[in-house]
Amino acid sequence: MKRTLTQLAATVALGVALGASSLAQAKEFLLGSELPLTGNLARVGQGMHEGIAVAIEMANRAYAGKHSFKVSTIDDETNPAKAVAAVERLIGDGAVALTGGYGSNIIGPASEAAQKAGVVYITSGGVTPELTARGYPTFFRINNSEGYAKAMIGLLEDMGVKKVSVVYLNKDATTNLAKQVQSALSAKGVTVGMHEFDAATSDFKPLLNKVKLQDRSEAIAMVGYENDYVGILRAAKVLKPQVKAVVGVWSLATAQMAKEFPDLMENVYGTSMLPYPVEFTQPEALEFAAEYKKLFNKEPDYLGQFGYVQTRLLIDAIVRAEEAGTLAKGGLADELRRTDAQTLIGRVTFDAKGDNTNFSHRMGQHQTGKVVLVWPKDAANGAMRFPGVPW
Amino acid sequence: MFELILQALFSGVLAGGYYATVAVGLALVFGTMRVINLAHGELVLLAAYIAYAAESRYGMNPVAAIPFALLIVGATSAAIYGLLSRIEEDREINSLILTFGIGIILTNAILMIWAADIHSTTDAWFQDSMVIADTLFAMRAEVVFFVGGLALMAGVYWWLNHSWQGRAVRALSSNRNAAKLMGVNPRQTEVLSFLLAALLATFAGIAIYTGKTIFPALGHVMTVKAFIITVLAGLGSIPGVLVGALMIGVIESLTVTFFSASLQELAGMILFLVVLFVSPSGLFGGRKALAR
Repeated sequence: MKRTLTQLAATVALGVALGASSLAQAKEFLLGSELPLTGNLARVGQGMHEGIAVAIEMANRAYAGKHSFKVSTIDDETNPAKAVAAVERLIGDGAVALTGGYGSNIIGPASEAAQKAGVVYITSGGVTPELTARGYPTFFRINNSEGYAKAMIGLLEDMGVKKVSVVYLNKDATTNLAKQVQSALSAKGVTVGMHEFDAATSDFKPLLNKVKLQDRSEAIAMVGYENDYVGILRAAKVLKPQVKAVVGVWSLATAQMAKEFPDLMENVYGTSMLPYPVEFTQPEALEFAAEYKKLFNKEPDYLGQFGYVQTRLLIDAIVRAEEAGTLAKGGLADELRRTDAQTLIGRVTFDAKGDNTNFSHRMGQHQTGKVVLVWPKDAANGAMRFPGVPW
Repeated sequence: MFELILQALFSGVLAGGYYATVAVGLALVFGTMRVINLAHGELVLLAAYIAYAAESRYGMNPVAAIPFALLIVGATSAAIYGLLSRIEEDREINSLILTFGIGIILTNAILMIWAADIHSTTDAWFQDSMVIADTLFAMRAEVVFFVGGLALMAGVYWWLNHSWQGRAVRALSSNRNAAKLMGVNPRQTEVLSFLLAALLATFAGIAIYTGKTIFPALGHVMTVKAFIITVLAGLGSIPGVLVGALMIGVIESLTVTFFSASLQELAGMILFLVVLFVSPSGLFGGRKALAR
């Protein structure tokens, strides 16, 4: 009896000691997030912000009792100088890494500030090649303009069009993407008309009239943001150029655009990872969608997906680095470079420059209030309507 | 090429009409109070968002939302006046800082209430194409609000020249002390011009909501454009605003046609600088410019 009690006491003591040791190791990690929550890019910044919030919630559930995570977010007001100040402040506040950023011209200086402090910066909001060309060991991104260009070029090739007008915003990322599309299509013998515009452009009729009367193209390829697309499509609806398709990139084949502009979006193509209504099948994706709906009472969109994926990969790498004892010694970047994960946006691995070279987008088409995936064939859940324009 | 130029000129004139409806309110307030209201673009945007709310929640036609928008924009405008009138020293400089701050507050209030998504009317009638003389195309909203805007501006012009209150506004603009001696109540007259600016802002807001897209950061863009046009016109000149806005609209449109759409803002600024170089007080400048 005495021996049994001694054994029991020893077991309880060991249990308490192990529990205490485990509690001692449990940590709360602070992530920093610098995003445009106001200003011109507020819409996209808030979309990414929502994805980050979902990632934090899900990670806290996944690592419950072991580690916890929280995020401190600073609004950069779509301003590069404020983004740099935000990064410096977040690092000063003890953020172990940064997730966020939108707009290549803002991410550039912000990630440079993170690089100087030796802190990891991960994003999906800047796709221009210049960002990874710098070779910063602390910079990572899960998407790039090549992946968007691949989808746009692939779709236009499948359409078999011989004349394309590229209408693009004169920012870094949009210009790069437009030029990638131009050079790839030109190499395949397609005649490409390039039309640059400024963010302040609100009347696209003079520009679309050039497409109509001078280019006489078979397709219009738009590279810009939501308000640009609406302006271009409205001008096209007024002038009715004889094109067979209107194709765009991000922020176009979305539930938001389908709901807000049903008359303008019909038959328009845009990059989209998922159809709308969203069809999730994987357990992680289902959990993501449920959490998103719970937090924001709406269907998740692509911005949320990207924000979620980048943050979840970062959190998993933080945990691995912590367990390996390298987090405090700058081991997070190495751990991220070891990432090889199947995610909501496909496989993610990072090359030496921090770019995810696996990234390739899909193309969706607005069809009677839904977004149907039409490219590539193996991801398609419907056939493309071609020729098809919204007027 | 002829077709291109013709369409560019036509589109430029219509765009100028939009710019003018936004800028006239700014010019009117400056004429009366010698104050640049840097929150004017946000007032225009507020009207647009009220039209959006009325349409999306209650299925109202954006034009039918004008009285509601006018009520809210008028009340906001009166509140701004209330704050401005409390400035006792260096009114011109302090009012710039105050209205800039109010503009930021309004932008963020709009962002909090309506989020950052872009919106526009879902009424397809406004976006339908109008074919004018076979080769000229326009959106129905552009033509309707261009004509409406001209009528409104003509009404303001007539009121300034032919009504007692309008003359009081002009008198205050010309010589504040002399106007007071002639029995003009400055406070009442200033409130009146602020309310008139709110009416113009409301009209411009509905025009923008029906013909373009709205988002919270747009107010600042409109204020800057309106400010440039007001200075180009000659501070306080209503006819100058119309001429200046049309010039900016046409030069931007022609730049797109002959050069690149990315240069249109630059072309507008070059025009602005050239006019100021030739005529430093603007097209119809001078301190007594209102309604001239």
